[in-house]
Amino acid sequence: MNRLLTKDFLSGLMFIAFGLGALYVGHHLAVGTPVRMGPGYVPRMLSLILLALGAVVCIVALVSGSEPVERPKWKPITLVTIGIVCFALLFERAGLIPALIVLVMIASLAGEEFKLTEVIGNIVVLSILCTLVFKVGLGMNISVIQGIW
Amino acid sequence: MDLLDNLFLGLSVAFTFQNLTYALLGCMVGTLIGVLPGIGPVATIAMLLPITFHLPPTASLIMLAGIYYGAQYGGSTTSILVNLPGEASSVVTCLDGYQMARNGRAGAALSISAVGSFFAGTIGTIIIVIFAEPLTRMAQKFGPADYCSLMALGLVAAVVLASGSITKAISMVFLGLLFGLIGTDVNTGAQRFTFDIPELSDGIDFAPIAMGLFGIAEIVVNLERHLERGGAIKVGSLWPTREEIRRSIPAVLRGTLLGSLLGVLPGGGPTLGAFSAYTLEKKLSKNPGQFGKGAVEGVAAPEAANNAAAQTSFIPMLTLGIPSNAVMALMVGAMIIQGIQPGPEVMTKKPDLFWGMIVSMWIGNAMLVIINLPMIGMWVKLLTVPYRYLAPAILLFCCIGAYSLQNSTFHVMQVAVFGVLGYVFVKLGCEGAPFLLGLVLGPQMEEYFRRAMLLSRGDAMVFIERPISLGLLITTAALLILMALPSIKKAREEAFQEEG
Repeated sequence: MNRLLTKDFLSGLMFIAFGLGALYVGHHLAVGTPVRMGPGYVPRMLSLILLALGAVVCIVALVSGSEPVERPKWKPITLVTIGIVCFALLFERAGLIPALIVLVMIASLAGEEFKLTEVIGNIVVLSILCTLVFKVGLGMNISVIQGIW
Repeated sequence: MDLLDNLFLGLSVAFTFQNLTYALLGCMVGTLIGVLPGIGPVATIAMLLPITFHLPPTASLIMLAGIYYGAQYGGSTTSILVNLPGEASSVVTCLDGYQMARNGRAGAALSISAVGSFFAGTIGTIIIVIFAEPLTRMAQKFGPADYCSLMALGLVAAVVLASGSITKAISMVFLGLLFGLIGTDVNTGAQRFTFDIPELSDGIDFAPIAMGLFGIAEIVVNLERHLERGGAIKVGSLWPTREEIRRSIPAVLRGTLLGSLLGVLPGGGPTLGAFSAYTLEKKLSKNPGQFGKGAVEGVAAPEAANNAAAQTSFIPMLTLGIPSNAVMALMVGAMIIQGIQPGPEVMTKKPDLFWGMIVSMWIGNAMLVIINLPMIGMWVKLLTVPYRYLAPAILLFCCIGAYSLQNSTFHVMQVAVFGVLGYVFVKLGCEGAPFLLGLVLGPQMEEYFRRAMLLSRGDAMVFIERPISLGLLITTAALLILMALPSIKKAREEAFQEEG
């Protein structure tokens, strides 16, 4: 088990997965001939090379071993990703400020310390700053709060 | 003389109010992120890429360049004062810089590193001016096959000098090349890997990928690690003693030379320059025992080297259109956003942009001495801002920046996806830089490859029959073989061990 959960072995698997994925998704693209290459020629070539390299990485990792993967901490990556997705969903529907509040709240939860007063202070400062820079300064076509400004 | 004409053109462009302002802005931002640990120039430039879309091309490149070399200055400040390298390139400065600070010589260390950096930056700029034209002229003789081989060399060389496993890094290059193909095929109009998403048919946008891979992944890793801050230290007098000056002058000269050379190499750049310069000083010194205890040479040489390298790493990007490191890949991205195809044509078709940018780099270096020395107190105060305020703010700017690219939330989602991918890369010890280089060069490389094959009627021998292409390919192969040799492999591993 430990032999498989190493950085190099998993990287190799990742490369193989990407190579297979690209072959599968691009299977309908015409390959053509070396003189008149179709849209699929170069993608297929690259996918096959990636597959081969991935296999080499895997084999080398199995034969000579590699560092074990550090156990990931799920909280930061999950919360940060959720925060960005919420921002994307809210930004056009609700406006800059609501999206900002949600993002900063969620992102602050991802850290080790969370003090509500600090986070609120941060939100206020960032709201003013972003409105000034992006709406007033750069004149971006965004709504600060949907339907109001 | 042509050279002088060019310089005057550059001066007239760089000394407009607008361009001076953006140079100053870039230097300020660069110093700021250099001082703040946990956010580097790659992430910052990635985040600011969308904003440059709203600026004129010259101004935007001047600003981005300012961020890059500004970060080298700022990074040294924190290394010396609080033993925290703001940038990878100033890690070695910590060794002796912080010791000097503890001996009460913080001010002297700061001013030597600032003045040494300025000197190195000046020399670096002069080198760019001298070599830009001949290199460009050479590049204009290149045919499609030559270009394809040149890119292969650039990619392989970048991989060789990157840390970690070479096979993994090469795989990352290919993965990047593959991602670069997403979009409509230029020759046939076929949709490739677009999954019927209309936003992807113009090709995958470079900025959200860079933001996700470098910005978001960096934030997450920092949040995991919980950054600690040391207390600020007293700066003291900025004036070095006569003895310190006498010892630093030769060190600065050697550092500048070494840094300039290593900066031009693909995959080189400031970090490699700084480490090599430190090692060189230690080897040359009469009493190497002083190193690590506050030897002034240990500050002067790496600081000069990282700045010289930061300057000269622009050479391959400006003349050949081949980025030598992740920051240069982003600069290529910035040019493409502005509708400029990087390569030898930039100098002939856009001389004002080319020379204006070069001259502005020198002006920026002069500004940085002023920004860094008298205003040192302000930067020290900034060190006390905790990361839990910064992380959400950085994240927010990433999101708004991504949205502003094309006023679409699709790009924000893309940032999230590539953030996760970037995190996976970090966890698996895969370098993001080779991926980025592959991504930037992918579309062009395919174009040149197909054109070369069409011209040769499908005969792959064209890559060996053209002398330029052959030479480049032999160099590429030689590099790969060299790296596979056991003795060099071992030395390389040791070199990176020291770095980590």
